[in-house]
Amino acid sequence: MKQLLNNRHPYMFIAPAVILLTLFSLIPILVALVISFTDMNLKGLADWSAVSFIGLENYKDLFSDATFIKSIFNTFFYVIIGVPLVIICSLSIALLLNYGTSWIFNTFRAVYYMPSITNIIAVAVIWGYLYNTEYGLFNYLLSLISVDNIPWLQEPTIAKISLIILAVWKGIGINMIIFLAALQGIPKSYYEAAEMDGASRLQVLFHITLPLLRYATFFVTVTTLIGWMQFFEEPFVMTDGGPLDGTISIALFIYQEGFQYSEFGYAAAGSFILFAMIIIVTVFQFKVQKKDTEL
Amino acid sequence: MATATKRSKPEKALVIFLLIAGGVLVSIPFLWMISSSFKPENEVLAIPPTIIPDNPTIENYIKLFTSMNFAVYLRNTIIIVLFSFLGLLFNAMAGYGFAKYHFKGREKIFYLVLATMMIPGQVTMIPVYLILNAMGLTNTMAGIILPGLAVAFSIFLFRQFMATIPDDLLEAARLDGAGEFYIFFRLITPIAKPIFAVQGILTFIAGWNSFLWPLIIANDESLYTLSVGLSLLQGQYANNFALQMAGAAFMVIPIIIIFSFFQKYIVEGFTMSGIK
Amino acid sequence: MILLIVVLSSILVACSSGDESGSSEDNKEVTVWAMGEEGKLLKDFSKKFEENSDYKVDVQAIPWDQAHDKLLTAVASGNGPDVVQLGTTWVPEFAEAGALKDLSDSMEDYDSFAKDNFFEGAVASMEHGDQVVGIPWYVDTRVLFYRTDLLKEVGYNEAPKTWDELKDAAGKLAARGDDMYGLDIDLNDQITPFIFAWQNGYEADLENNDLNFDTTEFKTAIEYYTSYFEEGISQAQQGKDITQAFADGSKPMFFSGPWMVNIINDQAPDLKGKWATAVMPKKETNTSSMGGSVLSVFESADNPKGAMEFISYMTETETQLEWAKTSNTLPSRTEAWEDPMLKDDPMFATFGKQMENAKPGLQTEKFERIAQELLSSIERITKGGADLEKELKAFNKEAQSLLEE
Repeated sequence: MKQLLNNRHPYMFIAPAVILLTLFSLIPILVALVISFTDMNLKGLADWSAVSFIGLENYKDLFSDATFIKSIFNTFFYVIIGVPLVIICSLSIALLLNYGTSWIFNTFRAVYYMPSITNIIAVAVIWGYLYNTEYGLFNYLLSLISVDNIPWLQEPTIAKISLIILAVWKGIGINMIIFLAALQGIPKSYYEAAEMDGASRLQVLFHITLPLLRYATFFVTVTTLIGWMQFFEEPFVMTDGGPLDGTISIALFIYQEGFQYSEFGYAAAGSFILFAMIIIVTVFQFKVQKKDTEL
Repeated sequence: MATATKRSKPEKALVIFLLIAGGVLVSIPFLWMISSSFKPENEVLAIPPTIIPDNPTIENYIKLFTSMNFAVYLRNTIIIVLFSFLGLLFNAMAGYGFAKYHFKGREKIFYLVLATMMIPGQVTMIPVYLILNAMGLTNTMAGIILPGLAVAFSIFLFRQFMATIPDDLLEAARLDGAGEFYIFFRLITPIAKPIFAVQGILTFIAGWNSFLWPLIIANDESLYTLSVGLSLLQGQYANNFALQMAGAAFMVIPIIIIFSFFQKYIVEGFTMSGIK
Repeated sequence: MILLIVVLSSILVACSSGDESGSSEDNKEVTVWAMGEEGKLLKDFSKKFEENSDYKVDVQAIPWDQAHDKLLTAVASGNGPDVVQLGTTWVPEFAEAGALKDLSDSMEDYDSFAKDNFFEGAVASMEHGDQVVGIPWYVDTRVLFYRTDLLKEVGYNEAPKTWDELKDAAGKLAARGDDMYGLDIDLNDQITPFIFAWQNGYEADLENNDLNFDTTEFKTAIEYYTSYFEEGISQAQQGKDITQAFADGSKPMFFSGPWMVNIINDQAPDLKGKWATAVMPKKETNTSSMGGSVLSVFESADNPKGAMEFISYMTETETQLEWAKTSNTLPSRTEAWEDPMLKDDPMFATFGKQMENAKPGLQTEKFERIAQELLSSIERITKGGADLEKELKAFNKEAQSLLEE
């Protein structure tokens, strides 16, 4: 009897969400997979008989498309620098905010969450000003200490870094509240015991807090990586991929192909290459985590 | 906090100083957004930007409320927000299922759930539309709500947090004869309050700002949301920045209210000992 | 909790059934998709059409930025409206996909559809091959905006009339000092390079699938364009917002469309009397670009008859003038320009005159892509220091292969 219950219940718990996801995410993904082997474009969308299967043609073309190759390179650049940065920043801020409970800390929780809820147009206008080469605030401040103007958004490598700074600024909020929630889950008795043993602050941080945040850190790392692999909004509103395709990301490339130029087959193929890369990275993380927990 | 009392004054001052310095940096665009909503159009893009408007005006807000079909958009937005909380419940249940039960295919199904996060949304937009169309749900509220109900991010987050709840707790309750749903609603939900609070904030924001599906699915403006209504104010060439900032500032107020309401629970914490 | 679910789902069902008003009761309803602000204005405006006919018009306003996505789903599902507003650059793409009804057979039934009603440049955007796929609703074109006072200071009592004069005036204005420029050219604008090329006598030969980007006319035009950046007359970096730069005098000339008139009047009211518009400076010709919107009938329209009635009404001269007043756009019918309202207003008159010599972007669905490629090539020349000759050769090859794809 108990066995039976245990067999039925888990499915009842997951069924509503899984059915919805199957219908509105998994099936569409399969459709997109099929499309990636076709030459689907706007004409094909209107009249399906005009669509033909072209096998791996799209995939082959992608790897000889210089812009796509560049977008892969740029995406890795974003991920490798941005992901650790955003995790470290949001964890540090969460730790600082967890320091006290007075109204000051309550207020600052809201303040640090603000970038996540600031309208994207406001973000684009203000950061556009901060980064403006001639009139921008950053270059004005630098000129005070006699540093030459920096072309924040005009030089491919610097532009990538500028976009990373912007994305980190924007991405702190959500990870911060997740860390904050996780910090509450650490029983206070642990800290008290450590203090009685005379452990230093750093020892507490590295031997109690961080290990116990493992589940949250894993979540934040996996989702942040997935999010940054699909880096899109920042280059979309700030640079549109320029200068000289220096900031174009894979997701932006897919958007341009699929929506600006209506090459749906080509865009779908691009997104499955991205999909494959994300899966590899994610599976790797799950494997590493499993090893960790087994130890 | 018991430990806080032992910390020295200068240290606390340093923490507060760091927080303030960072906080100012972080909130400038937000402040600019609010202040620009009170500026005339020609001042918005002035270089250097001003935080305090030179010629404050409430013209933008008047225009905002008179040029939109406000009541209808608000009603639709609220309906979507309410249903997105139903979605939150589904996600929590699924997260719990993946975290606390061992069943056949658990890993595989969970990876499939995660896989839905890994593809850019634009790619699946047209297939989703065609599915909704086949179900006869275009131009209906149901068609707008359904695609956004289940969210892999949220299921994953619930799973991670619920995995930290000790199994003994559940076993004890089962021995006492509690049903599985009773355990979920009466035992798990209170323990997982902080994470519900986090999800509550995220869900509210997503529902409140919902934009793409209302626009794509609706063949009638009576199904538009506030975000769609606001984007109608944008011209092909002229951008009406001040008006848009007024719209953005208006949209952010309920988010701040919800945030301050839920954030209490994020930091309230729970003590394992208190539950038994 | 379960009760909550039941209540919520019943609301959901109620909402869905409530909104599912039938689209095919009788064919007296015309659904119209129009963009942004115009969509909102059109709703009230179409009441007059309803009064004079037994049709009911249902206008849905769609934000500009998302209109393309929305149209894609309509094409995919056949759930489109009866009438759709299309920017002229979108016409070839949707016509090519077979999403727009061919109106050739109905041309005789509606006087206002006749091709000679419209500016020559606008007629090009009506046609797709031998089909008629849209009727010009309103038009726009680019002209020269300039500061009369500042031009006078460098010896120009009138706007520059030729390429040489433009270059000379702009050079002198740029020499006023640091942070001063002569002419603002928007490096992200797709049509500007083509405007220069047309003025230089360039012409694409689409019938023979030849883009002619390897001609001297095209090359010298791009040389002329890039020279403004090389000589520091135009700002290559992102700078101030153009309205602000125009007002403070740092960018005293730029090319733009009719929408800019209101923006300057609203945002820089102090400038009144210190600026004017003029037709494009001339090389071989003074061609400008032709933009605006057409009204098309969707292939999957439930009510094509009503759709045509509505379009016919919207393109009558009287309605056009009325709409110009309501929406601040420019009428596509040449006849409307005889009206004193447009003829006697110097600002409008410039646009009217320019419209007689204006062309839409190349009429291929690949235009946007080609134009984007060209902008990237130009970016490599002005910012990356690439060799113009080589760059254009590569661009020509790329564009040609895009076209033949």
